[in-house]
Amino acid sequence: MITIRLVDGSKKWSIPRDRGRIRELLNNIGLLSEEYIIIRNSKVVTPEDEAVDGDEIILYPVVSGG
Amino acid sequence: MVKCSFCEREAVYINRVNGKAYCRKHFLEYFDRKVRRTIRKYKMFGRKEHIIVAVSGGKDSLSLLHYLVKLSKRVPGWKITALLIDEGIRGYRDITIKDFLRVAEELGVDYKIAGFKEYIGYSLDEIVLMGKKRGLPYLPCSYCGVFRRYLLNKVARELGGTVLATAHNLDDVIQTYVMNIINNSWDKIIRLAPVSGPIDHPKFVKRVKPFYEILEKETTLYSIINGLYPKFVECPYAPFNIRWSIRRMINELEEKYPGTKYSLLRSLLSIIDLLKNNPKLNIGEIKTCRICGEPSAHEICRACIYRIELGIIELPDELREIAEKLRIRIPEKP
Repeated sequence: MITIRLVDGSKKWSIPRDRGRIRELLNNIGLLSEEYIIIRNSKVVTPEDEAVDGDEIILYPVVSGG
Repeated sequence: MVKCSFCEREAVYINRVNGKAYCRKHFLEYFDRKVRRTIRKYKMFGRKEHIIVAVSGGKDSLSLLHYLVKLSKRVPGWKITALLIDEGIRGYRDITIKDFLRVAEELGVDYKIAGFKEYIGYSLDEIVLMGKKRGLPYLPCSYCGVFRRYLLNKVARELGGTVLATAHNLDDVIQTYVMNIINNSWDKIIRLAPVSGPIDHPKFVKRVKPFYEILEKETTLYSIINGLYPKFVECPYAPFNIRWSIRRMINELEEKYPGTKYSLLRSLLSIIDLLKNNPKLNIGEIKTCRICGEPSAHEICRACIYRIELGIIELPDELREIAEKLRIRIPEKP
């Protein structure tokens, strides 16, 4: 299971996959990697990095809030 | 694991246009080079400047303040002052001010907080209610945008600023460009240049956008790496308007066709060059507002028009004819 959540905790997804490229995992839940900075297990990574079973991904929105 | 193209460390960023990956250290070097190149290319600053940085407390403006304070340590003739306009939006601005004060203190930078309440007489929350009561057709963002721009210029000048730096990044600029194409507002497109002016008015402070060629994704990463990313709060008045759809559309294009954003910026620069001396486009000369004395497109500036319509100030009798020409909604005298 790979978990993905927005940094403010407003949305969370649990993805039943063993591994996957982060860009594709985001696309599958309707998100664009262009719109987030990705933190995997507390470290900034790129959308081309992989996530594996047990990883927690936190997304920091690039878009400002007004 | 994606590795940095310049060393053995893990990458934190990929530039999909040049295909290079950057670790934290090399990303910060890339970011610094890119901003310095933008500043040089558009001749934003001279050797001796008092730079007023317009700060909202959001990630982009905190990043700009952080970057310019660091850069100013290498330029002896520069002085930096941060300027935050407090519109008085309960549940939003009070939170972002805390983020701003934390960063300003860490950086040891001089700052000024200028409130709508202090300069206009009322907070934005109060202005919105007054406007509704009087049946005025304006959206909160219209009052906010006009009074903010008015105060940024006025207070920057009062602080002795020689140039006003705003944190508009490449994404902001191209989104506004596309919105203005849709609205057929070519006069507004000219104002999207990296340096506004120099407008020939003694009270106008030159405006620059040092992040003009920097992607929003890059300013966000800079803010995270430097511990500047604020708690995400959304302005309660932020409308889900056409900008949100345009942003999504451009980001979808960028994801499929990397480089789309840079192409749009080049397109904007070309069109500004074509338009700036076009006699068909009546940009008009800058006037002086007959009420407040600030630079204005008309004989009465937009900020004074709103203040008259809201009943904050009275229209002087001798300006009645001009007010009628400008179709100002003049309140009845009690």
